[in-house]
Amino acid sequence: MPMPSRGRSKSIETANARLAEMLVLPTWVMLIVVFALPIIGAFYLSFRNETLGAFVAAKFIGFDNYVLAFADPRFWESIWVTLILIVLALVVQIPLGIGLAVLLHRNLAGTQIFRTVLIIPMLLTPVAVGLMWRFMFDADLGVINWAFEQININGPNWLGWRWPAIMAVTIVDSWQSIPFVMLITLAGLAGLPKGPPEAASIDGARASQIFFYITLPSLLPVVLVIAMIRIIDCLKMFDLIFILTGKGGPGTATQTLGMLTYNTGFIFFQISRAAALGVLMIALVAPIYVMWRRATEYAR
Amino acid sequence: MPFAKKLFSAAAILLASTTLSWADELNVFLSPSPSSTAIQSFIPAFEKATGHKVNVTEVPYGEMHQKLMLAVQLKQGQYDVAQFDNSFLTPFGAAGTMLPLDDKIAASKEYDISDFSKGQQDYGKYKGQTLGLTLSTEPFIQWYRTDIYDALGLKPATTWDEYKANAKAVKESGKGDGAIFGFGPNVSWWWMTMVWSFGGKLYDENYNPTVNTPEAVAGTQFLKDMLAYAPEGAISASSDDATIKFLSTDIGAMVQYSGYWGMLSDPANQKHAGKIGTAPMPKGAVDVTHLAGWNIGIPSDAKNPDVAWQFMEFVLGKSNAKNYLNAGAAAIGRKSIITDPELVAKYPYLPVLDIPEGTRIERYPQIRVWPEFEKAALDALAGIMNGSVEVKAGLDALQETEKPILAQENAK
Repeated sequence: MPMPSRGRSKSIETANARLAEMLVLPTWVMLIVVFALPIIGAFYLSFRNETLGAFVAAKFIGFDNYVLAFADPRFWESIWVTLILIVLALVVQIPLGIGLAVLLHRNLAGTQIFRTVLIIPMLLTPVAVGLMWRFMFDADLGVINWAFEQININGPNWLGWRWPAIMAVTIVDSWQSIPFVMLITLAGLAGLPKGPPEAASIDGARASQIFFYITLPSLLPVVLVIAMIRIIDCLKMFDLIFILTGKGGPGTATQTLGMLTYNTGFIFFQISRAAALGVLMIALVAPIYVMWRRATEYAR
Repeated sequence: MPFAKKLFSAAAILLASTTLSWADELNVFLSPSPSSTAIQSFIPAFEKATGHKVNVTEVPYGEMHQKLMLAVQLKQGQYDVAQFDNSFLTPFGAAGTMLPLDDKIAASKEYDISDFSKGQQDYGKYKGQTLGLTLSTEPFIQWYRTDIYDALGLKPATTWDEYKANAKAVKESGKGDGAIFGFGPNVSWWWMTMVWSFGGKLYDENYNPTVNTPEAVAGTQFLKDMLAYAPEGAISASSDDATIKFLSTDIGAMVQYSGYWGMLSDPANQKHAGKIGTAPMPKGAVDVTHLAGWNIGIPSDAKNPDVAWQFMEFVLGKSNAKNYLNAGAAAIGRKSIITDPELVAKYPYLPVLDIPEGTRIERYPQIRVWPEFEKAALDALAGIMNGSVEVKAGLDALQETEKPILAQENAK
């Protein structure tokens, strides 16, 4: 059988590369239309004074929208709220998710049923979840404060005060997200070699020592990826807050940057100011994206 | 003739016959609401009577004004009839995006504008021109539990002092909570009512905020004081939440838009059916009626304005007024409707829609920066209501926050 010549082989490679490019082209076009163009559009809008409700000719106003954002205490407060929600989410969800995953990984009796039940919250839509929890958190009619009353504890007015409202958002977000943390960790646990823990066990290491010195360090890349995904999820958290606390209430207590951007654009009709906030949000998310890329590379 | 050709010809004939059977197409923009449902119930009859096809686009309240704003700015004649919130009258009026309806109204015996009180005739007016017909008449009114009031010998309040005294009496009697407002995400509705009622204003004629005047402080203080007689969760209650609490627990009274009466038709809200009375909103230093409700009009770029008017006249005219109410809509305050004994027996709140001459009618502030103004007020009021800031200090801070917002009102 004659070997293909070097020239022919190169032309086949070139043809394959072109075919691959052609096949990827629709995806690129879609990405440009769906992501790149809106971002460029938002960037352009952020330097103008477009307002939907003014009916006056818009003009170029330079960095005014950015100056306005930096001078607005609501902007800084929304970043602060976003950070608080991220920290609380990580502190609550990662340990609990890992703990549940470790328990389920032991394949105790009833594990399958427990695993299925735990995944249910993840499958529900945030709007339905928000409505359900909003009613449950109601200080007069809600089941949560009723349960507190049964044990002679006066439950807080969850949605009427700043910190209880933040806690309420964290509770509901955790209820929905812990199953996700648990599932990814379970996958990570399944992929770990069994040798090192067994060897440590033979050497007399306790279960807690095996977990903290062998299992957890081995899971670190997975945990990093989970943390990055949860940070990104918290940054874009919108529907839950929209429903649960009535667009970021009480007052601005749970108004995240995403919520502020929505309010500015779609409630105040200040399209250009909202675009500037959107651009600032991209600037905030970009370093997290870089960290996420590094975490995934580290995980490999 | 090949099969495909036959099929194509048949489809073309069918399409042509369908298209030709309608004289004109009418595109109606509505928001899901009892009024919208009632309007849509008239469409088959209208289509049969006139031969015009009616297409409905329903957009949820949270998005409808953005969509409508965009549509009217594009001027492509997307809609022939549009439902809108009264607070959008000013931006629409300023931009000339809605057709003045005065000539059509004056010429219409069927619509019969004389069947409305003076205040209601002006409800859809911007600078003297009527841009929208009244789609619902929803003043703030007093709701009270007749069983609790009768047991304690109380009468519906005529002043805010009496209202507070009634609330105190109910609370102290142990029969329930005294009264409720929506102190949460919609507290601005009650707040502005109190500011007006206590003799204040939100801003002056030059668009300078006036939210920290003694009158505004007194009104806000009254609102906050009423928290003491409300259920514990009222501080975070939206307007809907407050109504549900009133209808499902024991609360003496509530001030709420009359349009919420429709919630009583929900079986879940009939715990106190037959024990709910209505009365006009109590008076403060000034006799104010806080009037709200939907409008409906014809966008200036409408393709079929005459058919649009024909449709509005058909649905909202005098002939169908009873049917419109019975179709589940929030009532329109026609004199012939609110005095009709049969309807009053069925909807006992109707007489309260008779807004007396002499009362000062206040509508949602007619400024285009209202959403931003309102949000700033809501943020400040959240702190005032939960006690993290004193009333005067909170309003002083709000005064400063509102200045740059209102300054945009004068911007060209």
